[in-house]
Amino acid sequence: MTQTLRNGISYSIVALFSGSLLLWIIPGWSPEYPGYGVPATLLPNIAAGFMLVLALLGILRTVQQRLKSKGGTETEKIHWRHLVAFLFPCVLLMPAMSLVGFIPAGVVFMTVIQLACGQRRWMPLTIVAILPVVIVYALMRFALGVPMP
Amino acid sequence: MFDMICAGFAEALHVANLFFVLLGVIAGVIAGAIPGINGPMAIALCIPLSYYMSPVAAIGFLVGLNKGAFFGGSISGILLNTPGTPESAATTWDGHPLAQQGKGEKALRTALYASVTGDAFATLVLILVAAPLAAVALYMGPPEVFALICMAMTIIAGLGTKSMIRGLIAASLGVLIGTIGIEPVSAMPRLTFGIVSLERGISLIPIGIGMLAFSEIIIQLERIIGDKGKTEVLSFSPRPEDRFVSLKEYLGCAVTLLRSSIAGTIVGALPGLGAPVASFFAYDQAVKHSKHPEEFGTGRLEGIAASESANSAVVASSLIPLFTLGIPGNMAAALLIGAFVLHGMTPGPLMFEQNAQFIYAIYGSLIVANIFLLGVGQLGLKVFCKMVSIPPLVLYPIIIFTCVMGSYLSQYSSFDVTLMIAFSLLAYFMRKFEYSFICLIIGFILAPIWETSLQQVIIASEQDPFMFFKHPVADILMVLTFIVICKSVFSIRKG
Repeated sequence: MTQTLRNGISYSIVALFSGSLLLWIIPGWSPEYPGYGVPATLLPNIAAGFMLVLALLGILRTVQQRLKSKGGTETEKIHWRHLVAFLFPCVLLMPAMSLVGFIPAGVVFMTVIQLACGQRRWMPLTIVAILPVVIVYALMRFALGVPMP
Repeated sequence: MFDMICAGFAEALHVANLFFVLLGVIAGVIAGAIPGINGPMAIALCIPLSYYMSPVAAIGFLVGLNKGAFFGGSISGILLNTPGTPESAATTWDGHPLAQQGKGEKALRTALYASVTGDAFATLVLILVAAPLAAVALYMGPPEVFALICMAMTIIAGLGTKSMIRGLIAASLGVLIGTIGIEPVSAMPRLTFGIVSLERGISLIPIGIGMLAFSEIIIQLERIIGDKGKTEVLSFSPRPEDRFVSLKEYLGCAVTLLRSSIAGTIVGALPGLGAPVASFFAYDQAVKHSKHPEEFGTGRLEGIAASESANSAVVASSLIPLFTLGIPGNMAAALLIGAFVLHGMTPGPLMFEQNAQFIYAIYGSLIVANIFLLGVGQLGLKVFCKMVSIPPLVLYPIIIFTCVMGSYLSQYSSFDVTLMIAFSLLAYFMRKFEYSFICLIIGFILAPIWETSLQQVIIASEQDPFMFFKHPVADILMVLTFIVICKSVFSIRKG
């Protein structure tokens, strides 16, 4: 993806998002004006309005750049598989802790994350999977008195 | 007044406080020494732990962490030529060539002394300047506060980012996220989408951990996965002249140290510029004022001294706008606001009237942290050097687990973990699309103050559209903001 294309996409997303904020989300999810003070929608509307104006300016700038020169420098790739490999176990961690307990879920989580990171040596994999989980458990349960998930 | 100062400093010297400051410094040096981990990231990860400390110990711990990380960043920069923090990049230009000559220990000691000198200078300026400035700031009413926040956010978005448009969009998004929760006038939920957990608003901890730490680790892992090349840590020469910095050598850098400390203090006190700007500017000035500019980049001690003293001066001087105006100058200061709020305090000029003893205790902690940094750096230099060779495959999974548990720890809520993951995803895309997530966090932190001052202005003026014209200071600030925005728009039209 080139820089110009990336900017065009991001400004368009921001423009659409801020437009929907102004038209639907802010009016739909804010309390009504109680008749005194300042409406609850004022600051969110200012912020969303500002985002919309800036995104339109950004689109204008991108179009100008596009007309002047085609293409542009390449940008950093988005690694979707990599992203899913790290975020998915994190999303599942808390429900898994409630289901099977902190230590088993934590150990499985650490093993999965290490495998996703590329760790293939069994010795460090085992130590890193068990030790931090047990230390965090001991610290949270006995030192800080935190109610565990 | 004198009693307050004595009581504050006595509180700073309390054993528990000293322990946490020392812990903060050690943890900060270790965190800074590991490439990819920086001070704000370490602060974000440790804020949940500060819940369990007294306010003075908590702020002392976090400030110590930040100071330690600034010096720690130079360790990996000098030894691996991979700066642990962006502000240490200039340190590597002369530090790494020295390390290649076997003088790595000398380079590190120069960095340590320069850090301590720069930090001591900036702390002194903070102590002397903050109280009088806060007294002036007390005369500011809601219009001035509103205008000042507008200007600060515009400057941060303009100077701290590659594109002002994207910086301002990020700051606006931060403000919008800051409005989620109970609306102050009607006491009804706003933008909560019917989710009960959102009614108390979004806490800084999931945002800080998700955007600063978790997303950073995901991006770092993207870079290291597949890179099987081992990094080589350089060895030290045993000769004393290659290991230690003599008094003559230190005094030889005195002018550079002073100039760079002044530059770092000024840059740190201005919102948005940050430590990297300070260190590059100071290095540039050191080259320009040197009799042997051609020797810079080959291992000159002055190069290290300039960069390190300037970036360390930023740590203390960034607290000047925080203490006097309640506005964070950089990311670390923004996170400190979160820590202040957690402990029931709002940074700003009123702190000097309401919590003067606390302020002096923080001053004491800053001085103590600097002394600890010198001691810890001297004694543990070789141990910290070992930290740079911890394999990321061991370290990063532990940080990921710490991120998840840290965000749970803030309110014992699984919902905060979900928020942390959501914000890390947002930060990932913001980084890829070059939007400043720092602007978003600062916008989020300033949103409640901004909204309160805006409401006060509108209510007090009975919705007078010309209310700002009656406040000359606010007018000047708004005009300055307008000029900064217009300049950006003009540059857009220019193409």
